[in-house]
Amino acid sequence: MNKGDSLKTLLLVVIGGAVLALPNVADNYVIYIGARLFVYILVALGLNLLTGYAGQVSLGHAAFFAIGAYTAAVLAESLQWPFALCVVAAAVFTAVVGYLLGLPCLRLSGLYLAMATLGFTLIVQEMLLQLSVITHGSEGMSVPTASILGFTFDSDYRKYYLLLGVTIVMLLLARNLVRGRTGRAFLAIRENERAAEAMGVNLAQYKTIAFAISALYTGLAGALSAFLVGFLDPQEFSFFLSIQFITIIILGGLASLLGSVLGAGFLIILPELLAGLDVWQALVYGVIMVLTILFMPFGLSGAIRRYAYRWFGIGVEPIIPRRLGH
Amino acid sequence: MVEILASQVVSGLATGCVYALVALGFVLIFKATDVVNFAQGEFVMASGFISYTLLIWYGLPYWLVFFVTILLSGVMGVVLERVVVRPIMSAPIFSIVIATIGASTVMRSAAGIVYGYDVLPLPTIFSKDPIRLGILNFTIMDVGVIGCSLAIMLALYLFFKWTKTGMAMRATAQSQTAAQLMGVSVKQIFSLTWAISAGIGGIAGVLIAPIIYLDPNLGIIGVKAFAGAILGGFGSIPGAIVGGMLLGVLENLSGYFFNAGIKQVSTYILLILVLIVRPSGLFGAVAMKKV
Repeated sequence: MNKGDSLKTLLLVVIGGAVLALPNVADNYVIYIGARLFVYILVALGLNLLTGYAGQVSLGHAAFFAIGAYTAAVLAESLQWPFALCVVAAAVFTAVVGYLLGLPCLRLSGLYLAMATLGFTLIVQEMLLQLSVITHGSEGMSVPTASILGFTFDSDYRKYYLLLGVTIVMLLLARNLVRGRTGRAFLAIRENERAAEAMGVNLAQYKTIAFAISALYTGLAGALSAFLVGFLDPQEFSFFLSIQFITIIILGGLASLLGSVLGAGFLIILPELLAGLDVWQALVYGVIMVLTILFMPFGLSGAIRRYAYRWFGIGVEPIIPRRLGH
Repeated sequence: MVEILASQVVSGLATGCVYALVALGFVLIFKATDVVNFAQGEFVMASGFISYTLLIWYGLPYWLVFFVTILLSGVMGVVLERVVVRPIMSAPIFSIVIATIGASTVMRSAAGIVYGYDVLPLPTIFSKDPIRLGILNFTIMDVGVIGCSLAIMLALYLFFKWTKTGMAMRATAQSQTAAQLMGVSVKQIFSLTWAISAGIGGIAGVLIAPIIYLDPNLGIIGVKAFAGAILGGFGSIPGAIVGGMLLGVLENLSGYFFNAGIKQVSTYILLILVLIVRPSGLFGAVAMKKV
């Protein structure tokens, strides 16, 4: 075991211990924020698979999040399905929607794709308001308490551990995915579609798979978030949420699972730390966002990689890609 | 029926002209610097507030307010470029976009801190009296907004076509390296581009703020203008103008047929349909990447 690996293991053990122990020492509000953080980590993982790895920009993830949340809530309320089934069904349904959205998006890229998916977010939000028979429109809808085999997740303490478990599983799945054939295909598509195609990557297949998997993660996060918060307000699922999601993965680091986690942590915890600033909160938040990107153009994970190499000689020298035409 | 529709088209064209101006701002910056400035809508909002301050707080005459606002908006553009964008010009495009999103958050909340979140009334230069011309019903304001926008677009066209600076800007858009070799200061061109784009956004702000509303969320108009630029083909100047106008007209027409909620999204449904058929918008060139 070299120096880098042992340091990594040590860090992992310390952080893992802290995350496990947190609900036993912190107050309810902190536990709730922790649980919310896991929801955002799930979204960030999903979005990073699509945007960071496969290079398909999406501003449609607020819509996937909403679809997951509302599907779970409607199944639980009207059909009274058990909690676990609701969540799985919501995630699968969102994945199907993601796959279907991926089909017309096959021809689009870059800004055009961003705009089309942004349009999708706006359309879905409007549908939540218009289909008030199912979604209760602008009144919002409440979500019943989650329970598995008689064990109810009625406190933030219990929900925290539930979300922690799901997040760890999904994180490991994402890690397997990006290290395998699919992950390599995603990267190849991002770097150069034509070259990827020439190497035998089926573009249409892998792009739609990327959309479906990404939507699955986000729908799962939405469904869990519905049960965590207990109430759905259609105003929450605006395009600002999509922009927040994309900000998380870019500030955290594109094509980096660590970056997804760090970005979510940064953007969820920061507003809580700034809560005392009252009207100045949004201003300071924006300034910190700009400063972060100015000093870490490759995100938090990019900065960590760079300084881990420079100061401790851990890892490899990160390659700074040059932009075309400069 | 025809009468009402025709009037809807005219008033839609007025809003559409403003979208077109903001869309032009997006496209000019993108062409010259390869940056997508998500704070473009914030220039509109900020100049709305600047003109409000000068008019109501300081009681300056309207024509003076108009020019001072455009000037200050241009200065804002230069400051944003120097402070936020230039230091990370070599970073990935994603990072630059996030930097401009951060800047827009700062601008929006600063406006909120100073002016609050209530809608402020802003008087207009043009009266809202209706005029009748044949089958057309419209207001002086509609005509004024359309006229002003067209005048700005013409002025820009002449500037790019006939002045030396305009030519330098076109050269920079084509190839930064070649322009630099020909003695063009690309850095100065970047600043100038941001100044012009922000200035156009400022004009849009003065024109639209009295029509719709003036509050710190006015910058959301940037999303519609962006949609207009995409519809026309991002990177194409005629595309931005046509796309913006088309979007304004369609939005107004669908407002006549559907309720307010559907009016908001109908344009995006149409936009997605157009993109499926033409993935690079109406006037956009299909980008071919060499392997």
